Amino acid sequence: MSLVDRIDPPPARQLFRWDLDKTYLRTDFDTFRQLVKTALEKASEKVNVPGTAALMRELKREETRVLIVSGSPRQMRRVIEDKLRLDGVVWDELVLKDNLGNVLRGRFRAMRNQVGYKLPVLLESRLRYGLDVPETLFGDDAEADAFVYSLYADIVAGRVSRELLSEVMEAARLYPDERGRLLQFFDELTQAREKAGGLVGIEPVRRIFIHLDKLTPPTRFSAYGPRLVPIYNYFQSALVLMADGQLNSLSVIKVALEMVQGYGYNLISLSNSFQDLIRRGIPVSQVAGALAEALTTHNPVLAALLPAPDILAAFAGRVASLGAPPPAPTPVDVDYRALIDDARPRTDKKRRLSANED
Amino acid sequence: MAHPPVTIAVDAMGGDFAPDEIVKGVAEISLGQTHINTILVGDQARITAVLSHVKHNPERLSVHHAPQAVPMGAKPGEALKEFPEASIVIAAQLVRDGTAKALVSAGNTGASVLACARTWRLIPGVKRAALAAVYPTQTQRGSKEDPFSLLLDVGATVDASAQDLAAFAVMGASYARVISRNEIPKVALLSNGSEEKKGPARVVEAHELLRKVPGIEFVGNIEGVDLPKGVADVVVCDGFVGNVVLKMLEGISETAMSLARYAAKEKLLWRAGLAMLSSGFQRIKTLTDWEEYGGAPFLGFDRLFIKAHGRSKSRAIQNACKVAAKAAAADLPAQIGKMVQEFVPAGAEEVEVTKPLRVKK
Repeated sequence: MSLVDRIDPPPARQLFRWDLDKTYLRTDFDTFRQLVKTALEKASEKVNVPGTAALMRELKREETRVLIVSGSPRQMRRVIEDKLRLDGVVWDELVLKDNLGNVLRGRFRAMRNQVGYKLPVLLESRLRYGLDVPETLFGDDAEADAFVYSLYADIVAGRVSRELLSEVMEAARLYPDERGRLLQFFDELTQAREKAGGLVGIEPVRRIFIHLDKLTPPTRFSAYGPRLVPIYNYFQSALVLMADGQLNSLSVIKVALEMVQGYGYNLISLSNSFQDLIRRGIPVSQVAGALAEALTTHNPVLAALLPAPDILAAFAGRVASLGAPPPAPTPVDVDYRALIDDARPRTDKKRRLSANED
Repeated sequence: MAHPPVTIAVDAMGGDFAPDEIVKGVAEISLGQTHINTILVGDQARITAVLSHVKHNPERLSVHHAPQAVPMGAKPGEALKEFPEASIVIAAQLVRDGTAKALVSAGNTGASVLACARTWRLIPGVKRAALAAVYPTQTQRGSKEDPFSLLLDVGATVDASAQDLAAFAVMGASYARVISRNEIPKVALLSNGSEEKKGPARVVEAHELLRKVPGIEFVGNIEGVDLPKGVADVVVCDGFVGNVVLKMLEGISETAMSLARYAAKEKLLWRAGLAMLSSGFQRIKTLTDWEEYGGAPFLGFDRLFIKAHGRSKSRAIQNACKVAAKAAAADLPAQIGKMVQEFVPAGAEEVEVTKPLRVKK
């Protein structure tokens, strides 16, 4: 990046927002022991979710912004930044949680609460970049990312009322100052939207990816509509981003290569992942053609690394073996009142009961 | 030691509880067995509907659409004629083409056997295939201390010749060697007496042949009473006798459990006694639970077929897939082929496949 670009960067044309734990990094903190281990790990000891480093590198371009908002404590900033640098990732924003402050103030509920922390951070950040910039978010199924990201997307799009937001804040048991902050950003966004004359024809959040770290069945998220795509791995998200026009075929191949070379993925697991998307009605069939073209063009590096005919046969075979492709999922209005249990912390009794009913 | 990766085709539409329980079993396998890839063969829409509600790892499974399925009660020949694109036929073709290394089905036994017979080849030297079943005994064997003996044939070949019975013995011994890690399995002929001249002519002749087979320990003829004692690791008989024996063993197990339930209801003292013995009963139940066995191997073809019970639920399907993976990793058909070649003289008769007996197992 040139000095001029650093002083006066070009305006953002696309935002890519990432969570860290269980989304970018393979983190286990379900037990106290794991939590301590995670906190004491060095940057070089942290392990990526396969393909994330390559994907994040491919998403970072001059006109894009890579924004990270994580529930990790602020004290881990240095380790996290070192890890991102080791991965060759360039980021524009890294927000971490003030867990120590919450402990010192006796706000233990705030430590697990995602709505009270992430939603205000997302809204505040969005106010900086403008409402008309398309955004893609990456989260996981461990906490409340699906709910928070979807609600955020609909708030920015102007589809959520102040009344509904208040109900969510009540259900999520937010502290008064968290509620005040959230409502303040909500009002500022409403004003900004009105000033811009609404967001006619613009969908501010195009795609939400939920990494199924806990292998939660994808139908658990169907109430959030087709904007949200549950993914089992990042090859799947790369394929969807390619279908969305956010990535080119070479970038998808780089993600796949990282997964093959570093994490034991193979032709079977990748082609199975591809077929899984098609089975769920996610329209990625057409990207197979573009990938095939990239593989068969005379790229000496790719030719050396990849057995193109085998790859083409595997992917074409997975498509053909399905017969008629299933219909794409239909858009839905997200009923946040019905999904309100998803806003509660994972350990909350009501949320556990709701998950069991599913 | 890391297991080599293996792909198994699973007939998703076969069985009393298909496709739900079959898909659930495969979903479980995808979570725990990192070396097993499965291909669910059947109605794509129905398989996807089940998959979307259960925890699974789609990286280790794929779906191959088959627009038709053979009903459980259908006549094999007619069914395959009526449903040429049935899931079992497509699955057998995937194994023939090398896309998968083994086939697992809980569907119509006759149709499954016929589909395999029409799609695959018999191992050179084997005239007729045999369906094998394991049953629990009081003896443990092999490096795995396996309590199960293998009984074959249990329904594939109703009339077996002496040569067939000898070939069954060789195939069963190969299976015991690979699956139970029993290097020199004890092989016996099921008859109505232990004397070598007792029984029908084919059994007497088979006795003579088996005495000359290398690599097995032929223990002679055994009677029905010796079966549960575990006198032999591999027991050979024709499909008619084997099927009767298998059903009787299942019946005894079910009757014993019914009697225990009856006793528990009848008297408080008996109930207390049964409660004290509950852990022992649980062990017996586990030992005699057919869902633990993982299905019956169909031996004699150049490809692998594990026939799961028609009433199989997800656990039985999981175990059937594990057995299939183990047998495929060891390349059981090749092992059988090697042993048969040592036993069968050169220029063996032409192969033939008879109409199989319609059995549940």
